[in-house]
Amino acid sequence: MERRELLKLIAVLTGGAVAGGEVFLSGCKTGAKADAGFTAANISLLDEIGETIIPATNTPGAKAAQVGEFMKVMVTDCYTLAQQDAFMKGISTIDEACRKMHNNIFMDCSPEQRHSLLVSMEKEAKEFNKAVEEKDIPKRKEFEKAGKPYDFVGYPLHYYTMIKQLTLLGFFTSKTGMTETLRHIPVPGKYDGAYPYAKEDKAWAE
Amino acid sequence: MADNTYDAIVVGSGISGGWAAKELTEKGLKVLLLERGRNIEHIKDYVNANKELWEFPHRGGRTQKMIEDYPKLKRDYPLNEIVLDMWASDKDCPYIETKPFSWFRGYHVGGRSLLWGRQCYRWNKWDFEANGKEGIAVDWPIRYKDLASWYSYVEKFAGIQGSKEGLEVLPDSEFMPAMELNCAEKDVKKKMEAFYKNRRKLIIGRSANITQPHHGRTNCQYRNRCWRGCPFGGYFSTQSSTLPAAMKTGNLTLRPFSIVTKVQYDKDKKKATGVEILDANENKTYEFKSKIVFLCASAFNSAWILMSSATDIWPDGLGSSSGELGHNVMDHHFRTGASGIVEGFSDKYEYGRRPTGIYIPRFRNMYDDKRDYVRGFGYQGGAGRGRGVEVAEFTIGAGLKEALSVPSENWGINFLGFGEMLPYHENRISLNKDVKDKWGLPVLNMDVEIKGNEKKMREDMRNDAKEMLEAAGVKNIQTYDWGYEVGMGIHEMGTARMGRNPKTSVLNGNNQVWDASNVFVTDGACMTSASCVNPSLTYMALTARAADFAVAELKKGNL
Repeated sequence: MERRELLKLIAVLTGGAVAGGEVFLSGCKTGAKADAGFTAANISLLDEIGETIIPATNTPGAKAAQVGEFMKVMVTDCYTLAQQDAFMKGISTIDEACRKMHNNIFMDCSPEQRHSLLVSMEKEAKEFNKAVEEKDIPKRKEFEKAGKPYDFVGYPLHYYTMIKQLTLLGFFTSKTGMTETLRHIPVPGKYDGAYPYAKEDKAWAE
Repeated sequence: MADNTYDAIVVGSGISGGWAAKELTEKGLKVLLLERGRNIEHIKDYVNANKELWEFPHRGGRTQKMIEDYPKLKRDYPLNEIVLDMWASDKDCPYIETKPFSWFRGYHVGGRSLLWGRQCYRWNKWDFEANGKEGIAVDWPIRYKDLASWYSYVEKFAGIQGSKEGLEVLPDSEFMPAMELNCAEKDVKKKMEAFYKNRRKLIIGRSANITQPHHGRTNCQYRNRCWRGCPFGGYFSTQSSTLPAAMKTGNLTLRPFSIVTKVQYDKDKKKATGVEILDANENKTYEFKSKIVFLCASAFNSAWILMSSATDIWPDGLGSSSGELGHNVMDHHFRTGASGIVEGFSDKYEYGRRPTGIYIPRFRNMYDDKRDYVRGFGYQGGAGRGRGVEVAEFTIGAGLKEALSVPSENWGINFLGFGEMLPYHENRISLNKDVKDKWGLPVLNMDVEIKGNEKKMREDMRNDAKEMLEAAGVKNIQTYDWGYEVGMGIHEMGTARMGRNPKTSVLNGNNQVWDASNVFVTDGACMTSASCVNPSLTYMALTARAADFAVAELKKGNL
């Protein structure tokens, strides 16, 4: 079987970031709600947050890749109930946090204001996740001791981390992400294991 | 045929069954090939073969629904959106675990030949001798020399790429031109082989991917999407290779949705007369007659059929007179090794997605090396240059986008060990008649575990990987053990082993059931030991050899 696919899958899913694969390898027992509570408004909000994380540059960004719609599908179908709740609750607090910092809701903020809000959320999420991971250590140790296959059951990470993971995953597996920001050749036809690489050449999408 | 009578019946259409069908039809027999699942037609039914990642709603991941529906398959990488339609349903086909066992099954025409990893390695002469020499289980009734010409025969048809190395531990196959090691692998190879004075070798992973056009198949296009089914026929599968050859003879009848429930047995003649099937759609029973039966239903299902046959004579089924039917379950244990960073190739990249990796043949307990366990292991893996990672200065914005859209600075390399598991009599599967599958048939109970020999070996698998990477100058080396449950190797073997004595084995040296000379078992069930190399090539060779023998015996009037 395609054992090598496992590692590659994790790489694809994380978009090069450190965490993220857990979502897909999770063996959680709690089913997901079919209607997590997505609306046109929060999908637009997620598009704009995604665009702040991966902006349009000389190639299209996360909004063009429709990451908001993608997050809806992933959170609805792939997240556990606990992850769904943390995600939905989290995004409902974004405007409040934004008002505190900029006296304005996220959608009405300038790109610079949006950027600075997310930088602060990034910090908050890092501390939050550290505590979550520490809480998870006993369970992980238990698995290791039993020699059991690693089960990535974890407490939900910070909602911002979920947004970021899904943005990276959604963008770098989208058509624009794979073909315009990255390079993609569906049928290479040959193999060269010492292919010249010049600095700033884009990475392959697959 | 109107009277439901054939010369031969082949049960199962995977790697072994496909070979049996090809060989028997080409020798002029009228053959009925039975498959329990649906048909998958070559190319036409490879529904995901040409899809791009963005065309999958969850981009290849898994949903909560999938996790719920596949409580067994979810334990490892096989559960994903891309090949979901090629795995058997855990709900329709349950099994019981006295001890944890992961059983990943492909119930459709082609079986796991569509999904396999395509690694192809001959056994060496010691693999066939070890049981006898060490007094473990029973001796193989055959030796390497009995199989060598059959290896050549199947390799020439299947198409195996690899490099000629002249190693005793890993005999060369009939090769197509080898795929290339990449620059990082070549560097590690050079340093590692120099350090170990060529006693440890790093070579290209030998695989059933063709590098030249072959029997109407197009050579590999380096998409590395094999397990979706290859529209080019770039790898060996029943569909790309053996099935079209069998069809061409005009002697083959393929019947999907046919669950074989028993081999019909005539106790006076001590021979099988055919099989009984349950049509999986109609839920109706049919009988088919034949002179010979080849069981190639995969190791556990071939054993299941035997256990369900001739129970009026032997309560535990046809082939159970030895007390070994369903016992001696083996797999390959893996999921442990080491990885690291190869520096110095930032000006090089890969073009194309090579569908194989590297192989490091066994070196433990070989020649003058002696460990505190028996047998050994090999490594698969490879080097690659991944994508860039997030850097501290750019956690969001254009800088992050840039960092993630270029390759990583360095190449990574991974050595993943695959170890031999011994045949233990007490490792067994048995029928559980209290639990039924979707069709009301009894299910299997798994009572299998690895023991001290395997556990000691795993320490070496991890530590040796680290030591070899260090010797090759690899940086940031990390060892890992993801934990292993028996079955995850997806190399089930041993449930109807070959042997020299009907009292201690189910099959003789020609894969005939001792108690029914016209019933042959040539899939993983027949294996007397496991070696540490991937088993499919050996199933191919054993099947072709048994088919040749069966037809010769038929002609002599012996069957």
